[in-house]
Amino acid sequence: MGGGGFSAPPGDPALDLYVLRAARVPHPRICLLPTAGGDAEDQIRRFYSAFRHLPCEPTHVSLFRLGSDRVDLREVLLSQDVLYVGGGSLLNLLAVWRAHGADRLLREAWEQGIVLCGISAGSMCWFEAGLTTSFGEPRPVRALGFLPGSNSVHHDSEPERGPCYHQAIRAESVPPGYAVDDGVGLLFAGTELVEAVSARRGAGAYWVEEVDGEALETPIEMVALPGREELEPPTPLSIIELREARTLRLSRGDARRGRR
Amino acid sequence: MERGNTLLDDYVLRLARERGCRARPRVCFLPTASGDADHYIVRFYRAFAPELCEPSHLSLFRRERAVGDVREHLLTRDLIYVGGGSVISLLGAWRAHGLDLILREAWERGVVLCGLSAGSLCWFAEAVTAFHGPPQPVTGLGLLPWSNCVHFDAEPARCAGYRRLLAEGMRPGYAAEDGAALHFEGERLARVVSSRPGVRAHRMRWTGKRVSRRPLAYTYLGATEPGETPPASAADRLSVVAA
Repeated sequence: MGGGGFSAPPGDPALDLYVLRAARVPHPRICLLPTAGGDAEDQIRRFYSAFRHLPCEPTHVSLFRLGSDRVDLREVLLSQDVLYVGGGSLLNLLAVWRAHGADRLLREAWEQGIVLCGISAGSMCWFEAGLTTSFGEPRPVRALGFLPGSNSVHHDSEPERGPCYHQAIRAESVPPGYAVDDGVGLLFAGTELVEAVSARRGAGAYWVEEVDGEALETPIEMVALPGREELEPPTPLSIIELREARTLRLSRGDARRGRR
Repeated sequence: MERGNTLLDDYVLRLARERGCRARPRVCFLPTASGDADHYIVRFYRAFAPELCEPSHLSLFRRERAVGDVREHLLTRDLIYVGGGSVISLLGAWRAHGLDLILREAWERGVVLCGLSAGSLCWFAEAVTAFHGPPQPVTGLGLLPWSNCVHFDAEPARCAGYRRLLAEGMRPGYAAEDGAALHFEGERLARVVSSRPGVRAHRMRWTGKRVSRRPLAYTYLGATEPGETPPASAADRLSVVAA
């Protein structure tokens, strides 16, 4: 996913549901790896608030701060239905995973059929290469390479990434790949792209390759997921009444103050 | 950065003052091992307040907002303080950013290096980590050619793990209890100081038959009058590490 999702308010609930459906079990176990953000508390909190109310069993694994419990990394990772990698620094994510041997465990998880997904750095990590902004300017970095090609994220929201990605593809410092907007997800079965979905109107994804010395963007066909508004439960009538009563009270107050 | 106990902070600040010949030494905090946890950074700025020193911190997760030239910044500090967390994550992230090389350079230039827990283990050639799962060996930066184990009193599994690793060929080294600090000048242990009475550090080695543990003489920093504090050394390449 190119960005958005649970970690960026107001979130893209349709993507959360899409991820759970990809697991193809009624009540999937889903584990957040918040490594790229340094196990940031707010990312972990947002993950639980997004998934707590959905039909799943959410958990997370910290590689920085030990909670109350020590866990066997291998056992926890390989017993999940979905592994969800949060955003942050792609460079740090890969370095810390490699230091813990988590890269090997993730390949094993993938080969076992566990759904691997992620946002931003958590998306780029699965490809041969991505762009890191750890040094300020976006810079290409070699990633895990489970999926062929390269990936650039926040294609719509961080305009400085586009030119850098084009340049890297023109210079062949990264292989051709996918530029993805916020709120958009690409679904791969094995190494094959099977579907591209968008939870935001106008958001898309592009196949970027070098043609005659230029980086050419070809739009990928999108399946629209229900937007945020469509997934919001209808407001209960009692709340509507209360809001109207408050509006009325405020306007009366204004009128009184105006008279004085 | 112990809660309610500034003795070790005072000790390293004094070393930094002498090193830099400055009333307000330049101190940089590296919170990498905690994933640059916000609360930890706040605690650092509270403990190393601007009236005591010129504090800064370096985040590797939000590096775009960090100090400009990282190498330049670190090499011009008087004291570099490394926070606790996971030593494996710490070393992984440092190596990705080239901080391992920069810190060695800082050490060779005489910047005082210190840290606690993971921030202690990292300076040694070998260390015992028990982050996820049982205690296991980890290869550190190797500025100090010894092994190191922290939380020696607080975590019995770690203590047993260190003994096992020494028997299996880990190089000799030092175990520190919580509140004890090992002060090295160059590669040599100069003294042991502690922030709590009764806590200490131990020299650990495999004799060929058994693991020998020799408790080291130490100075409790709280008992001494201000004028009698152990002599801080102006020697180059100081490292103070605490459990």
